[in-house]
Amino acid sequence: MNLLDIRNLSIVLKSETNPILAVDRVSLTMKEGEVRGLVGESGSGKSLLAQAIIGVLDDKWQVDADRFHWRGQDLMRMTLDERKAIITKDVAMIFQEPMACLDPTMTIGEQLAEAVDCDQLSGYFWQKNHQRKEAAIGLLHKVGIKSHKVCLTKYPHQLTEALCQRVMIAMALAKRPILLIADEPTAAMESTNQGQIFRLLASLNQLKNMSILLISHDLENVTHWTNTITVMYSGQFVEAGTTKQIFEQPFHPYTRALVDSSPKANIGLPTKSRLSALPGSIPILQHLPIGCRLGPRCPRAQQECVIAPKVKNSHGHQFSCHFSLKESY
Amino acid sequence: MFLLSLLSFSLSFLFPGEQLINISGQINATTQQLALLAEQYQSHDNIFQQYLAYIDKLFHGDLGLSMASQQPISTEIISFLPATIELSLVALLLAMTVGIPIGFIAAIYHRKMADNVILSVSMIGYSIPVFWLGLLAILIFSIQLGWLPSAGQISLLYEIEHVTGIQFFDILISSSPYKWQAFQNASSHIFLPACVIALAPATIFVRLARTAMMDVLDSQYIRAAKAKGLSFWQMIYHHAIRNAMVHVIRDVGLQFANLVTLAMVTEVIFSWPGIGRWLIESISQRDYTAIHGGLLALSSFIFVVHIITDFIYAALNPLARENKHGS
Amino acid sequence: MARDKIYSEEEFPSPLLQLWYNFKQTPVVMVGFSCFLFLTLLAIFSPLLTPYTSVENNLSFLLLPPAWHDDGNVSFLLGTDNLGRDMLSRLIHGTSLTFGLSFIVVLISLVIGVVIGSISALTSGIKSSFLNHFLDVILSIPSLLLAIVIVAILGPGLSNTLWAIIMVLIPQFVHITRNAVTEEFKKDYVLASRLDGASSLRILHYSVFPNIVEKLISQATLAQSAAILDIAALGFLGLGAQIPMPEWGAMLKNGIDLFYIAPWTVYLPGLAILFSVVATNLVGEGMRHALKMRKEA
Repeated sequence: MNLLDIRNLSIVLKSETNPILAVDRVSLTMKEGEVRGLVGESGSGKSLLAQAIIGVLDDKWQVDADRFHWRGQDLMRMTLDERKAIITKDVAMIFQEPMACLDPTMTIGEQLAEAVDCDQLSGYFWQKNHQRKEAAIGLLHKVGIKSHKVCLTKYPHQLTEALCQRVMIAMALAKRPILLIADEPTAAMESTNQGQIFRLLASLNQLKNMSILLISHDLENVTHWTNTITVMYSGQFVEAGTTKQIFEQPFHPYTRALVDSSPKANIGLPTKSRLSALPGSIPILQHLPIGCRLGPRCPRAQQECVIAPKVKNSHGHQFSCHFSLKESY
Repeated sequence: MFLLSLLSFSLSFLFPGEQLINISGQINATTQQLALLAEQYQSHDNIFQQYLAYIDKLFHGDLGLSMASQQPISTEIISFLPATIELSLVALLLAMTVGIPIGFIAAIYHRKMADNVILSVSMIGYSIPVFWLGLLAILIFSIQLGWLPSAGQISLLYEIEHVTGIQFFDILISSSPYKWQAFQNASSHIFLPACVIALAPATIFVRLARTAMMDVLDSQYIRAAKAKGLSFWQMIYHHAIRNAMVHVIRDVGLQFANLVTLAMVTEVIFSWPGIGRWLIESISQRDYTAIHGGLLALSSFIFVVHIITDFIYAALNPLARENKHGS
Repeated sequence: MARDKIYSEEEFPSPLLQLWYNFKQTPVVMVGFSCFLFLTLLAIFSPLLTPYTSVENNLSFLLLPPAWHDDGNVSFLLGTDNLGRDMLSRLIHGTSLTFGLSFIVVLISLVIGVVIGSISALTSGIKSSFLNHFLDVILSIPSLLLAIVIVAILGPGLSNTLWAIIMVLIPQFVHITRNAVTEEFKKDYVLASRLDGASSLRILHYSVFPNIVEKLISQATLAQSAAILDIAALGFLGLGAQIPMPEWGAMLKNGIDLFYIAPWTVYLPGLAILFSVVATNLVGEGMRHALKMRKEA
């Protein structure tokens, strides 16, 4: 059974003049124990999608979907509060700049204790306090911070980014979630620290069978740690499939361009020649192209591309393109 | 502080009239007394020595005599200053307890009706000239409605000994059998002037609190806390208020100077026996020594409150405590 | 070759025009702006508009209430005071005094403050640090208190009040200019000009000033509302404009004694002060709001 089943989710930015369709009919499915990568350039709407799943978007965004199922329950039919109750119990999220996501006027210990779920404690309230502290220490150990005494009394600005990110993961683990959404968790760190965080996430996935939705703009990094990948461009669904399929046989021209632009693929290039990349840049929200939004930049675009392509499926490898590269393999 | 004393010292030269008389305040002095004074203030030596002599006298608490009443200035200041301190502190508390929560509410309901209403009302609030407001308040509350008294600190019926000068402390320490009624009476006397003074700073606090709270609500950690699953009001109570208060406290200290000025004008209207009224009367009477001493006292008072709020700010904000090292 | 501009041409108005469009958006601010213009017109053309002069005594019509009252007279639209002077004319003349003079005061202190501030931002060393400390001390003393002290030195009177308020407002402008100029100097476009060989004065004139003009204007509106309140406060305390000048604060002072028998002598000048301060504040608020919108868009 699918953990998360989203079909044709759209997010509209409400404004009096003209509403902007920031995310255009994206579908996403996740199974238990799966690590899925969500890849796209900055501005492709992947963070918006994640925030829509968790439910932290402001009032100015409007979210619609054909299907939004969580573990078989239809969330579209429930009220906002019920939806929030179910999601926050089972889904956790970590963000991009961990130090900015922690309250600067409270110590780490206090914030961790706050994140510990009330249902897991028992006994009278003075016992609960003690239990909270014990739980906080346990969480820190789980993410690999051995010297918990030093960490608990410090303020966020006294720790490094990597340490703050571990604390964020610890706080996310406090609820024992089934799905962890990681929104560019390592964007603010050096590569050595990035490896640490990814290893931690991979171990959590293996030991606890926790599914992870890993959002990133770096295709190469993501391919190493994920089972399946979904690619988005400018708010539209581009391609989805297993990592092997995406990396070795990309059907969509955009995925092809992404794969080609990584340094590994360019090793065989002769010296002093241009690196291969798509011309132009991602369209701004005020001037979104109609139909397939890659149209103006795509090397294989023709007149039919003004109509948005439908999603086609081939052995579990989904893509949406009129002129895909499927035949060339 | 050093510059303040320098400024007030130079004032004595700027005031019309002979410098020596300005500093000491003895108007009808004989030549002998003048000579004595000249020796005390060392007016024959150069300016630097004069300045040192002035500072020396200051430390001994001798600010000279008032030209109008021939009383030593320091005693006059000590008798009047506590009343002003009482009034301005009560007004500050009032402004903070009313202004800051309203500002927070305006930020939470941003872009809805409540926010706009609060903003417009607060704009009118800090545009009203304080003396006009005082007069109107007396007209409406004291005369037409008769609810609150309009002058003085306490009704003359109660004889409370003047121990510290701060009315409430005096009532508590005194041995009068009518303590509770005296307390009530004093509160009703202080209520109207404090409200009048507190209006403009309260509206400024509303705006400051609103900006601070809006900044906090937009920040990353509030979003992360929402994702953590905290309910909205829990989040506001535990996280947002602490962070917003930190920003607001800093500006509170700056506003206090403004508040003291308003207090000065209000004291004139309500005949409150404070240092503001005394200072303004002495200006009309051209009592230069009094102006001198009053200015010094008032500025030091403001300075002290400034420093206290800086301490409170450092205590609340862990970020401010460290001099930022590296990262 | 990659071409970025493949989308329809969008019209980008100049920053000043953008500011004006944003400013026009809020209706309340436009109302305030029109009131502000109205007051300025009144201030300039006051002698031509008033039915009576401000000091003309009509001894047969002492203490008339405003025209909508039973005892009122339509030829004295807002009533008269204890010497028979028409309130409406005095209020209008007072506009040029309280409002108009505050405008001039702000203008003068703006110019002087900007000059001193730029000089202080350009120099460094003992001179500037002394100036900075001096400024900080003066800024910590509230403006009205300082004005009262200066008036005490110079003696009461309207012109002395003006000098006092000018001297009180100058440190504020110096502080703002100094901070703004030092902040701009750290930015890269100034570095680029300097590398081209521009002298400091030239950088100030061409690069920095156009960018800080808006901050100065918003500070100027704040200063103007403070100046109106201060002029009126000094007039009220008897230290500023003296009677028979129709300055609003002095009119209020005059009216206190007559409070119980003729309350309109107190209501009307106060309302006038409130009106002008609200208009100035609305304009200032609108400008700051428009600046913020322009930065975000």
